[in-house]
Amino acid sequence: MARKRPLALRILLWALAFLALVACNEVGGYICDRFGLPVPGTVIGLLIMLAVLAVLRRVPEGLNEVAVYLLSHLNLFYVPAGVGVLGYVALVARDFWPIVITLFVSTFLATIAGGLAFQFVARATDKREADK
Amino acid sequence: MSDIGGDFIFRGMAEALGWLTLTIVLYIAARRVQSAAKGNPLANSVLLAAVPIMMILTVADVPVSQYQEGGIVLLWILGPATVALAVPFFINFIHVRAAWKPMAVALLVGSVVAVISSVLIGHLLGASIETVRSLAPKTVTTPIAMGISEEIGGIPELTAAFVIFTGIIGAVAASAVFKLVGVSDARARGFGMGVAAGGIGTARAFQESLIAGTFSGVGMTLNGIITAILLPLLWLAFS
Repeated sequence: MARKRPLALRILLWALAFLALVACNEVGGYICDRFGLPVPGTVIGLLIMLAVLAVLRRVPEGLNEVAVYLLSHLNLFYVPAGVGVLGYVALVARDFWPIVITLFVSTFLATIAGGLAFQFVARATDKREADK
Repeated sequence: MSDIGGDFIFRGMAEALGWLTLTIVLYIAARRVQSAAKGNPLANSVLLAAVPIMMILTVADVPVSQYQEGGIVLLWILGPATVALAVPFFINFIHVRAAWKPMAVALLVGSVVAVISSVLIGHLLGASIETVRSLAPKTVTTPIAMGISEEIGGIPELTAAFVIFTGIIGAVAASAVFKLVGVSDARARGFGMGVAAGGIGTARAFQESLIAGTFSGVGMTLNGIITAILLPLLWLAFS
């Protein structure tokens, strides 16, 4: 077990880690705007963070703690989006059955496709490796 | 400066803070219910928190825009939280990279099937164009899906709701579906759930096994990145 850092330092590191996440997000948004990329800025921010981690070759402890905390409470941040559906009740009512059927059928198909494709290729490559 | 203006701004801020507090309190209560239900995907904390708020807004006749003055704070944090997906992805990728071939194929097949089937089925059943656009990124993890939806002219709020229901359907049905088609490899099960059912699927995969959960998380993030880059480009090309 690593020695425990003093609380004040840990709070400072958390703040810095959060700022780093915000900075990646903002830079990603700026790049998308500047070059007119049809990609959500936050995904470019994610790729920037990934590049930084690849260069560092490790995850700073404070960053890991902040990331775990934020991701474990992602659902809180979706609540306003869920409530926002209230503004589109008429549209949902109009397209209710197409939506329900699409959600079920498409999710089954995607689950089967992803799982089967993985297993099929995994068996093929494992076998080839075993034959070597 | 008139006193009336200052008072108005103050009251607006107090109200926004009130909605924000209510959201957080309901979310904490929803988490309790979720853990009491032993993480059953049907006891989804977003639904458990959002539905009472929707009822309160409807009964009190408050416009959603007024609620969003408080909600916007939480939506803003979604951006940095999405960037944070890079951290578990970076840590887990080391454990899964040996299986890069099956992952690459499954990623491509899974995301293509997800997008094309939702667009085609929605369109054939006569859904309006906004609905179809909002359905297209529905297997992608919520924060990224909302961004994609915005890029292709969908409604991000609807997409968020579709992603949540997709995740619940996938998490509830995955084991039965995999049994039906004979997918037994834990890595394949996890990856399939991550690609098709995002974060809710990943939570379910971790209940199956650590391996399934790890592959699911990686599948979810890869699917988010790939779909975010390809879907808007393809959409622009074909429309």
